[in-house]
Amino acid sequence: MVDTDVDQAVRVEGLVKLFGSLTAVDDVSFDVKRGEIFGILGPNGAGKTTTLEIIEGLLKPTQGTVSVLGLNVFKEPNKVKARIGVQLQSSAYHDYLKLSEILTLLGSFYPRRVSPTELLERVGLADKAKSRVKELSGGQQQSFTVAASLVNDPELVILDEPTTGLDPQARRNLWSLIQEINQRGVTVIMTTHYMEEAEALCQRLAIMDHGRLVSVDSPRNLINQLDATYRVKLVVANPLTDAQVASFNGGVEVIQAAEGNAYLLRMHNSPKALATMLEEINRSEISLEHLEVTPVTLEDVFLELTGNELQD
Amino acid sequence: MLTLVIANLKMLARNRQATFWAIFFPLLLVVAFGLFDINNVGSGNLVVVDLDGGPRAKTLEQALSQVEILDLESLELKSGEDAETKARLKVSEKELDYLVIIPQGFEDGDPEKSQSPPGITLVYNSRDHGRNQLVDALIGSLVAKTQPENSPLPISQILSSQVIEVPEVDYFDEVLMGLIGLGIMTNSIISIAVRVSTFRNQSILKRLLVTPLPIWKYFAGEILAHLVLASIQVAIFLAVGVFAFGASIHGNVGWIFVIVLLGTVVFLNIGFILSAWARSPAAASGLGNLVALPMMFFAGAFFSTATLPWVLPEAARVLPLTPMLDALRDVAIDSAPLWETWPQLGALGIWVAVTALIASRVFRFS
Repeated sequence: MVDTDVDQAVRVEGLVKLFGSLTAVDDVSFDVKRGEIFGILGPNGAGKTTTLEIIEGLLKPTQGTVSVLGLNVFKEPNKVKARIGVQLQSSAYHDYLKLSEILTLLGSFYPRRVSPTELLERVGLADKAKSRVKELSGGQQQSFTVAASLVNDPELVILDEPTTGLDPQARRNLWSLIQEINQRGVTVIMTTHYMEEAEALCQRLAIMDHGRLVSVDSPRNLINQLDATYRVKLVVANPLTDAQVASFNGGVEVIQAAEGNAYLLRMHNSPKALATMLEEINRSEISLEHLEVTPVTLEDVFLELTGNELQD
Repeated sequence: MLTLVIANLKMLARNRQATFWAIFFPLLLVVAFGLFDINNVGSGNLVVVDLDGGPRAKTLEQALSQVEILDLESLELKSGEDAETKARLKVSEKELDYLVIIPQGFEDGDPEKSQSPPGITLVYNSRDHGRNQLVDALIGSLVAKTQPENSPLPISQILSSQVIEVPEVDYFDEVLMGLIGLGIMTNSIISIAVRVSTFRNQSILKRLLVTPLPIWKYFAGEILAHLVLASIQVAIFLAVGVFAFGASIHGNVGWIFVIVLLGTVVFLNIGFILSAWARSPAAASGLGNLVALPMMFFAGAFFSTATLPWVLPEAARVLPLTPMLDALRDVAIDSAPLWETWPQLGALGIWVAVTALIASRVFRFS
């Protein structure tokens, strides 16, 4: 079946991958539109990397079909590989080659290629052309691996946890690099386990957990689904009684009663509900030690959808 | 500091493959050296052609068989062959080191009965000069002892030596070919095994798989690079051997390169095979040594394998280094043209095919 829909960069249907008795990917289907930044979010072991490796043609699925840029990955792997750029999660580069030499080498494998000088300039490593990968900082190394994924001027770039292990500044630099690549019309698929990264970068998100696809939508819609606007963290001197919680009224839902007297609440009809709750606390002379009010984030979405915290 | 040392030791101990070879390998060398009877290396073989057959001749033959540095052999003759002619031919072909011809009438070698008493003839080729002198003197003294006590003749009258000139080859010329074989083999096997293992550990191989590069090109690239390296190695070995140590290359140098490159492919394939089992680059290096170094001894890189006990000389013939060294020595020392080494080249060709097949079956990218 040839996919004639030009708007689809990637179409994944009914993907299953078994490693022995382990189900790494369990019936996953999603589409990636051309020109978007599509994120796959999930904790370690959720099946993100396996899904990407199937899309890249590195792994054969146990079941299901994948088309990339309208081509069947398993029937025409080299045609697909020529048009996509890939950054692997753990891949290093040759210790004994200079940056420009590595890019020249990789470029030589493709029919269409971008000059190493231009690539290094784009990722801000122009002055490091003669350095070795080992001599770069962590952030520079990640920028370099992104540059390496662009050697063939690809239509689609697949980045596997590009910012893992980076400090906040380096992470933000990489975000702007990814956005800039996307603005040139390149479709980006990336995995991450950072919520704020997914929210900041991705137009649409697939949330994966234990090999299954939990939800696919834009970050905003995913948050709106929750039907809550604020999350409130409350620390009180004495444990709250059920009656006291009830008196906070219907707009408040206790989602987690953490250690001792700390409570995590979700507030629906804010900001009025917040005012009501504070009044109630005052009236019943609950001694408030700490109060934190934050907007709902993807973290809450993940917690809601999977019942787990995203990060350990 | 101590903590660091202990931590390092722990890490080394946990890298079991590498540790195992580090201990096992020196042990292997000891065994290999032990198998060689190094003292035996200097001895030569001897054939006695007895045209007299008298008791004096028998006594001499008996005495010769006692000499430690000479292995007395009997000549196998086909019907119609003349013993002396055949034995002389073998000396000139370097298959036989020493030939003693006892003439007819040796029994009655009494100067009063004959004007010109028949003397013993000792025939040898010019190859091993030092041993020749020793053997010449030794046989002279043995012959002298067989003379009648009352009328001894000067040695010069009862023993004459004939030297058959063959191209000058010293032990170093042979060893130089052994060194070339060893260098090429060790480097090819270990370099490939370690490189592939390193690239796999760093996911560089996986990174190549996501490009449209056809897999065969990756292998071809590795093999070609190593063939260039091997050519440079051989050129250096030959240059140093010839110019610094005075080795002589009698045959065509170009053929030496052809043989070496064919052998290199075999050893590279073995490196690819070993890389599949090595879990770390260090283990790959150990595995490479494990395969390469015993082969160095058993294929006769430095010592003749003829002195090995049991079935080992036969077993040595099936190792890939053996045909490579044989072909190299045929060309370099005996000036053989390349096509005369076809049995060895054929054996190497079979090795190329077999190792390539195994490598393609066991190779792992991740």
